[in-house]
Amino acid sequence: MDQKVSRRSFLKLAAATGAAAAIPGCQPAARHLVPYVVPDENVTPGLPTFYATTCAECPAGCGMIARNREGRVIKLEGNPLDPIGGGSLCARGQAALQGLYNPDRLAAPRTRSGDGRSSPISWQSAMAQLISQLKAAASAGKDRVLFFGPPQGPTLRKITEAWLKAYNSQRLVAYEPISYQAITEAAQRCFGRSDKPVYQLDAAEVLVSFGADFLETWLSPVEYTRQYASFRAPRKTDGKTTMGFAVYVGPRLNLTAANCDQWLSVRPGTEGAVAMAVLNAVVEQGLVRPESGLDPNVLRQLTANFGPDAIAQQAGISAEAIRKIAKQLAQAKSAVALAGADDEVGQMAAMLLNAATGNLGVTMKFIDAPELTRVSTWSEVTDAVKAMREGAIDVLFVSQVNPVFTIPPEVGVAEALKRVKFVVWAGGVPDETAEFAHLLLPIDHPLEAWDDVSPRPGVMRLRQPVTRRVFDSRALGDLLLDCIAQSSPTPSAAPWKNSLEALKATWRDVQNQVAPAVPFDQFWTKALSEGGVYVEPKVASVTVNVSTLGEPPKPQVLADDSFALTCFPHIFLYDGRGADKPWLQEIPEPVSQIVWDNWLEIHPETAKRLDIDEGRVVEVVTKSGRIALAAHLSSRIHPQAVAIPIGQGHTAYGRYAVGRGANPWQALPAGRFVTAAQLRPTQERYQLVSPLSGGDMMGRPIVETISLEQLERGIVPQEEEPYPEPYNMFEPYQYPKHQWGMTIDLNACTGCSACVAACYAENNIPFVGKEGVAHSRIMSWIRIERYWPEEGKGPLMLKMPMLCQQCGQAPCEPVCPVFAAYHTEEGLNGQIYNRCIGTRYCSNNCPYKVRRFNWFAPSWPHPLQLQLNPDVTVRGAGVMEKCTFCIQRIRFAEMQDLTGQQRLTDGAIVPACAQSCPAKAITFGDIKDENSAMMRRRKEHALRNYRALDQYLNTQPAIVYLRSIYRERGEG
Amino acid sequence: MARTPEAAYPVAGREQLPVEVTYAEVDQEALRLLQPPGRIYWYGVAFLAALVVAGAAAWIRQIYTGLGVTGLQMPEMWATYITNFVFWVGIAHCGTLISAILYLFRSRWRTAVYRAAEAMTVFGVFTAGLFPVIHLGRPWFFYWLAPYPNERWLQPNFRSPLVWDFFAVSTYLTVSILFLLMGMVPDAAVAREASTGWRRKFYAIFSLGWQGTEEQWRHFSMVYLLLAGLATPLVLSVHSVVSWDFAMSQLPGWHSTIFPPYFVAGAIFSGLAMVITLLIPMRRWLKLERVLTLWHFDNLAKVVLLTSIIVTYAYIVEAFMAWYSGDPFEKTTFYMRAFGPYGHLFWLMVLCNCIIPLFLFSPRIRTNLPLLFIISICVNIGMWLERFVIIAVSLSTNFMPSQWQLYRPSLTEITITVGSFGWFLMWFTLFSRHLPVISMTEVKEGVVWLKKAIRQEQAKAA
Repeated sequence: MDQKVSRRSFLKLAAATGAAAAIPGCQPAARHLVPYVVPDENVTPGLPTFYATTCAECPAGCGMIARNREGRVIKLEGNPLDPIGGGSLCARGQAALQGLYNPDRLAAPRTRSGDGRSSPISWQSAMAQLISQLKAAASAGKDRVLFFGPPQGPTLRKITEAWLKAYNSQRLVAYEPISYQAITEAAQRCFGRSDKPVYQLDAAEVLVSFGADFLETWLSPVEYTRQYASFRAPRKTDGKTTMGFAVYVGPRLNLTAANCDQWLSVRPGTEGAVAMAVLNAVVEQGLVRPESGLDPNVLRQLTANFGPDAIAQQAGISAEAIRKIAKQLAQAKSAVALAGADDEVGQMAAMLLNAATGNLGVTMKFIDAPELTRVSTWSEVTDAVKAMREGAIDVLFVSQVNPVFTIPPEVGVAEALKRVKFVVWAGGVPDETAEFAHLLLPIDHPLEAWDDVSPRPGVMRLRQPVTRRVFDSRALGDLLLDCIAQSSPTPSAAPWKNSLEALKATWRDVQNQVAPAVPFDQFWTKALSEGGVYVEPKVASVTVNVSTLGEPPKPQVLADDSFALTCFPHIFLYDGRGADKPWLQEIPEPVSQIVWDNWLEIHPETAKRLDIDEGRVVEVVTKSGRIALAAHLSSRIHPQAVAIPIGQGHTAYGRYAVGRGANPWQALPAGRFVTAAQLRPTQERYQLVSPLSGGDMMGRPIVETISLEQLERGIVPQEEEPYPEPYNMFEPYQYPKHQWGMTIDLNACTGCSACVAACYAENNIPFVGKEGVAHSRIMSWIRIERYWPEEGKGPLMLKMPMLCQQCGQAPCEPVCPVFAAYHTEEGLNGQIYNRCIGTRYCSNNCPYKVRRFNWFAPSWPHPLQLQLNPDVTVRGAGVMEKCTFCIQRIRFAEMQDLTGQQRLTDGAIVPACAQSCPAKAITFGDIKDENSAMMRRRKEHALRNYRALDQYLNTQPAIVYLRSIYRERGEG
Repeated sequence: MARTPEAAYPVAGREQLPVEVTYAEVDQEALRLLQPPGRIYWYGVAFLAALVVAGAAAWIRQIYTGLGVTGLQMPEMWATYITNFVFWVGIAHCGTLISAILYLFRSRWRTAVYRAAEAMTVFGVFTAGLFPVIHLGRPWFFYWLAPYPNERWLQPNFRSPLVWDFFAVSTYLTVSILFLLMGMVPDAAVAREASTGWRRKFYAIFSLGWQGTEEQWRHFSMVYLLLAGLATPLVLSVHSVVSWDFAMSQLPGWHSTIFPPYFVAGAIFSGLAMVITLLIPMRRWLKLERVLTLWHFDNLAKVVLLTSIIVTYAYIVEAFMAWYSGDPFEKTTFYMRAFGPYGHLFWLMVLCNCIIPLFLFSPRIRTNLPLLFIISICVNIGMWLERFVIIAVSLSTNFMPSQWQLYRPSLTEITITVGSFGWFLMWFTLFSRHLPVISMTEVKEGVVWLKKAIRQEQAKAA
């Protein structure tokens, strides 16, 4: 960093310390207010500053705006200019803050002695140690230094390559545990391209996913959730009300499947074969579009081994279903087929299906720009491990990846690491791999460092330090450049002083391509403030390359008597990197609603046969290894499958990650997520915890639905009676200026829980841990209600964000003896924490059960408390709290209006949940303003309006839900 | 009404009230209890005090760490503490019933038991009054419930039943203390005259300078009558208001118009059962057989039987209304109450409150003190369960099926509950040996009437 930033950072720190001291409940209150000696022109105490940056929690790379208060980042929001995230973030993106402020992050460099214990050392001696080892390795021969890291942006890659070169090596592994290698390989075979396609789900009318969990982790979940919401939006086509039709083919009803019209439960590992069979059926039924330019005979030959009848039998579905999907895909005006990230056959089939049905360039596109991010192939990774094992590596620099956790034991990473002379681990929270390191270096969190990233061809994004460093860490780029500078006097080895300079050098090239006429400083400032450059992507014109299709694949057959174990990335924990963040542990997985653990999902019938009950610890034995974890019975999984979410089972990686569930990678074969397994129930039991108790809605009007047919014909499924004029002793409430309200479209909502994470971050909501959730004391102000519909009726899953309904006739208000709960002039159900004495009557009387009680004084282990929002009171023990509609944001906007800085127009106030929602299901606005987006949304969907439980209780909520639309089963 | 003890209880044998009791004998009986108690008595008091200390320690820890040490959770924000509150308010009920309503009705049998019942009332309210404070999230602000003058003109919310509760319970406490102390004035004077030293000074305070003049007697009986008139509506109102804590909400299982009479009947039911529970051992340990006769217990048991039938009727009406209203939430709640995870508590409650008291139809059981004692204990348990079933079990089956959770009390709650029994019994034990627990004045009034009644019976027999 240059001088200017350091000075500013110093002042930010001064402010942050003062602000942190002023937060009650964390530290003793500050006795003295210390004014700035030299006020910083960028920091006005009490006002936030915003910095654009890029999310680093998964490869999707959504744009973020970091809200900074008095020198520390307190909230992350989507960057509306960003074409990928579209102004939204998922729960993982929101929780990046807890990675930054994680109390278990390495605070200073450490060295490990022979007995395995580590002790802190200074940066100076750490660098000296590192450099001497590197020099020795460089002089020992070629390629004796290995850099093992995640896929890097262009600048960091450039620096890393220079660093390796300085030490006489070229060994660079860009490792992504859940890589999309199958996609690029399939693209290579089908179209001769090495980049990933991008999908345009909202351009499709029919969507078939062969195991792609595009609403959870697949490629770019925020983007695809947004697209899926618009794909599912009801619209008039040729005078008929319709919406996108979606089918999910997979062994388990995951969140993606639960949001589709149809879930085809197939045996694990057969998704790709089913996709091939669908392609075969398209060909056989003569449905290949002539304009696609594909020769049906080539496809027939390619899919010869995948006759629908044979495959249907293997997969456990009907051949009729396969043929029907084929027809639906081919006959739709536009359609898209997706396949699982690790499934090469499926990927090929899906790509060819898209091509054969004329959707190449419509719903599936390739961008005409170079792929700037390189991901190592699986064989490159295993080669590197082999080199380690053979003793060919003297120095291993492993950074921000966790190969010990994510690579199955049969590859032998742990043994290989022991053979390396000197292992340097550089990262945040020390993980399983760090256990093998001789030197541990704390490096900057992506929110602390300069960086760039190209998540897909044609998209270039920046990262900048959005906060003062939390620990004594250094930027990886700076560290590598320092190594070069300190070890070799040759100036050519490190052409850049620091990573910012390197970054600017990269971006000069970007400027030359994008805007050569603009002065660089101007270009740089604009790019920095917008988070990157956004140019209209050029769609490449692509055709199927028949010559590279290669040999027709053969279906893999699983033995009939074994169970197929299928492991899937957890929506929040992903490949395990989310496990150190308490928010991600505490937010229930949307389908199973289980928190703080992973589980073995098993069909009840199978479980009964094997004498397994809920919570029984089951040993899962595969050819590759064995793990034991608690069983969770669910009828929404194929009877011959068991499923385990990936992400738990850490033995290191901080206090929040350790000792929860099991790591399924320990039982998986290398590079695969499906394998045959045997189950052995043990005598042990283990409690799986969920904050929701019942999945049966008992026919109550909580989550309401409407069928497409009812919508077409204008029938309201559950007619709300007009209010009988209620006898009221009291004057009706007056709302002189505003009456805040919300419209939540349940048809758009997928249940992804980004709103929940955003609410945790914005409103200083404490996490309570597994024990707290088990005791039904979870504190989240917004939760996803998840119910299972009656068998064979309605949508596959009922879900709804449940938060304080801000009732017009609120049951909580009159019962409070001290007016802590009261009705505000803006229609909110206010809650005055300082007045609350904790009778908890309000909660008893709240039909929605959205009020939370502080059973204990909340605590955030240092430095997690630095994330707390200074605009929101931290509640002490003994008081009630609940959703406030982000009152601090309302007040902020009203203040801005009063001071004339910004008019309070519709859309000026966006609560955290609405801001984060990838599906844009939540709209906030003024009920008194008939033209507000929120009211227009209600009016446009008048038939779908309802208020939860209102017809029984006359609570008159300010939240209007729009009924979820479903197709009658079997309709398509 | 004019039946003698012998005529009613020919089998009672030596435990019957002597035909002739002189005024002096009544005084002797009562004053005997005011002699310095023995060692065993003090061991008992120490044991009860230890329970109180344990409860207090648990409470202090709870204040220090937060309500998380209880078993309370979403959705059972109220459970054991509020159950205890309603239970003790109910216990506190029958003292005033006996002393006020039965006084106005001129029931003769009340004379021997009413002082004990009144003391029980006061100590019951003492105990009950603790629980709303114990259950608060921030108990140090409990006084915010009171409309006290303050610089910001903050007032409590008079729409909240909890504020009504605050007034109802504090009024009831005031009136029952007044009633107890007022009725005790002539007796305290007798004790004063019979004692020396500090005891004399002690009783002098309670006797308010009583000389036994005719004018004082006239004023006394007028005040007593007026107080009885004042207290009578309170008997009905206190528990009605307590029931509104629940009836005014909209939770299925709480929101019901039958609650006020149902709660009042339940309170009398449990209060009388508690009187029986206390008097039977007291009669034995303090050797009060000459004053507390089977005739008294027989009458107490009859009222218990009556209120048991009223309570049973209320249960039936509640269940019927749940079905008849067609309200799906109400129906589910009542179904779950009987057949849900807490069903065993419900059926135990029905057994204790509706079935076991039916044995009291038999005069033999009504006069069999060991059996009566067991039945009264059953009723106490049943009535505690009734409140628990209404409060916690209704909360557990709320409007949101996703938020149904099972509550289990924690050790803290159990300790405080046990401590509250210790607290109540400690006060009662202290009272029974330090203030006249038998009303000499009224028993003496009864002696004349009794004599007359016995003579009449004898004449009839001759």
